[in-house]
Amino acid sequence: MSGSAQPAPRRGARSHQTRTSSRLRSWLRHHRAMCFDSARRLLRHPLGSLLTMLAIAIALVLPAALWLVLDSARLLDAELDESATLTAYLEAGVDEAQAMRINEALGAHPEVNATRLITAAEGMAEFQESLGLADALGRLEDNPLPASVVVSPRETRPEAVRALAGDLEGVSGVDEVRLDLAWIERLAQLAELGRRVALALAILFGLGVLLIVGNTIRLAVESRRQEIQVVTLIGATHAFVRRPFLYSGAWYGLGGGLLAWALLSLGGQWLAAPVTALAESYGAHFSLPRLDAAGSATLLFSSTLLGLLGAWIAVSRHLAEMRPE
Amino acid sequence: MIAFEHVGKRYGGRFEALANIDFQVERGEMLFLTGHSGAGKSSLLRLIMRLERPSRGRVLVAGHDINRLHHSQVPFYRRQIGVVFQDHQLLFDRSIYHNVALPLEIQGVEPREAARRVRAALDKVGLLHREKALPIELSGGEQQRVGIARAVVNKPSLLLADEPTGNLDPQLSADIMTLFEDFNRIGTTVMIASHDLALIARLRHRVLQLREGRLVADQEAA
Ligand SMILES: Nc1ncnc2c1ncn2[C@@H]1O[C@H](COP(=O)(O)OP(=O)(O)OP(=O)(O)O)[C@@H](O)[C@H]1O
Ligand SMILES: [Mg+2]
Repeated sequence: MSGSAQPAPRRGARSHQTRTSSRLRSWLRHHRAMCFDSARRLLRHPLGSLLTMLAIAIALVLPAALWLVLDSARLLDAELDESATLTAYLEAGVDEAQAMRINEALGAHPEVNATRLITAAEGMAEFQESLGLADALGRLEDNPLPASVVVSPRETRPEAVRALAGDLEGVSGVDEVRLDLAWIERLAQLAELGRRVALALAILFGLGVLLIVGNTIRLAVESRRQEIQVVTLIGATHAFVRRPFLYSGAWYGLGGGLLAWALLSLGGQWLAAPVTALAESYGAHFSLPRLDAAGSATLLFSSTLLGLLGAWIAVSRHLAEMRPE
Repeated sequence: MIAFEHVGKRYGGRFEALANIDFQVERGEMLFLTGHSGAGKSSLLRLIMRLERPSRGRVLVAGHDINRLHHSQVPFYRRQIGVVFQDHQLLFDRSIYHNVALPLEIQGVEPREAARRVRAALDKVGLLHREKALPIELSGGEQQRVGIARAVVNKPSLLLADEPTGNLDPQLSADIMTLFEDFNRIGTTVMIASHDLALIARLRHRVLQLREGRLVADQEAA
């Protein structure tokens, strides 16, 4: 508009460079100022700020805890996958040499990971041992058990395992293939259910955090309404107006995340002893999952991000209302 | 510098605050805008600041139709205009110094450079000794002068003032007008809305007169 818009001849490139770097410096200066200023504003009302953060923390704890539990269930899942096997019972008349050939034939199937042959005698020994009936069965003249091959499949998805079972049943010398899919399927369904519930809760409670921060920031915006109007009148950009509120939102989010983290660790410690004792009473080895470094970082990062987003929405709505039609 | 082409402004679709306004202001001019209360003086200035958009016609500033500015460009447009508001628009939780520094803060002027310019502006309006005071501790006239200092701190190429002497005694009013004339002398275009007819008559600048939203007189400078 004025002479200031005219480029300076000759010194053009140089002055452009210094102008860019000075603009960057002033931008950083404002960021730093707003970062501290918003923290100071939060500290000016410590109780109110703490309550907001606590509300955020409570909203975060439930989905985070569920996520932890699912995470440890996934480990359990992996262990179970390895034990997902099929048993191919061989025909009664098959002798040991034939059994070994069939074993090799089964092992050659592309979907088969490994096989283990259990001869009739071995089968009997295992059976006796597991039932503690060594004496009673020991007196039987004939071994009524067929030889069998334990097959571990490459793919442990129920459909894949079922298809493989059909295939193996067609191999000559194989009488019948047994697989216990029911519990694998049930477990898979349970895990899927858990994942969906966790996702739904995470979305729901994430929205909750947005609402909490959004509402708090909306009130802050309302109380600084005149200031926003004045700075807009004299040429503040939306980014400039938003900045202090975004920092407030981020502080709320970070504070809420830290509180949630503390609640999770405290709760974990409080529950650890009874859970371990309970697991031991079943002869299992299970301890409560803990937030590791990556999990903690994820929690804090997402809570800060949610705070930022909630603030963004609140301020943007206000700015949109201010614009002349 | 400024051109109004058949500009009309309606509020709420019915009430016609301005109708068929047509005038031009050259770069470096100084002029008054006068008229009864409710004549549309503030509305006209708000159109130039793009705080309102015209219902019809075009408002051109420095050759650009400001209605066509994208809203992200508006802040940068406003930074080139210094405005003295009828209702001061000061921030009551900040010292006089920080109120005047606000435009510079928004533009990211280095603090040391900003301090120099703020003190110079406060000095011009005679309030340097009150820089640490809060607006609430100042009289109405003093607040008005803070608003003037804030409007000029940025050395704008266009200065708009809405009743800048409304709360000032005759002596101070004259001083402030002299200040505006000083700015005008170094090339700033100055447009002042006022109904202080005695003062306007004495200063012999161009006068636009509004009546019920219409431009009824355009007296050239004597
Ligand atoms: N935002 C608005 N909504 C509706 N009507 C408005 C609005 N702003 C101004 N008006 C009306 O437009 C007319 C012109 O108002 P304006 O403020 O421009 O007058 P003015 O000449 O500045 O008066 P004064 O000398 O009292 O400041 C008035 O009748 C006013 O009621
Ligand atoms: Mg007015």
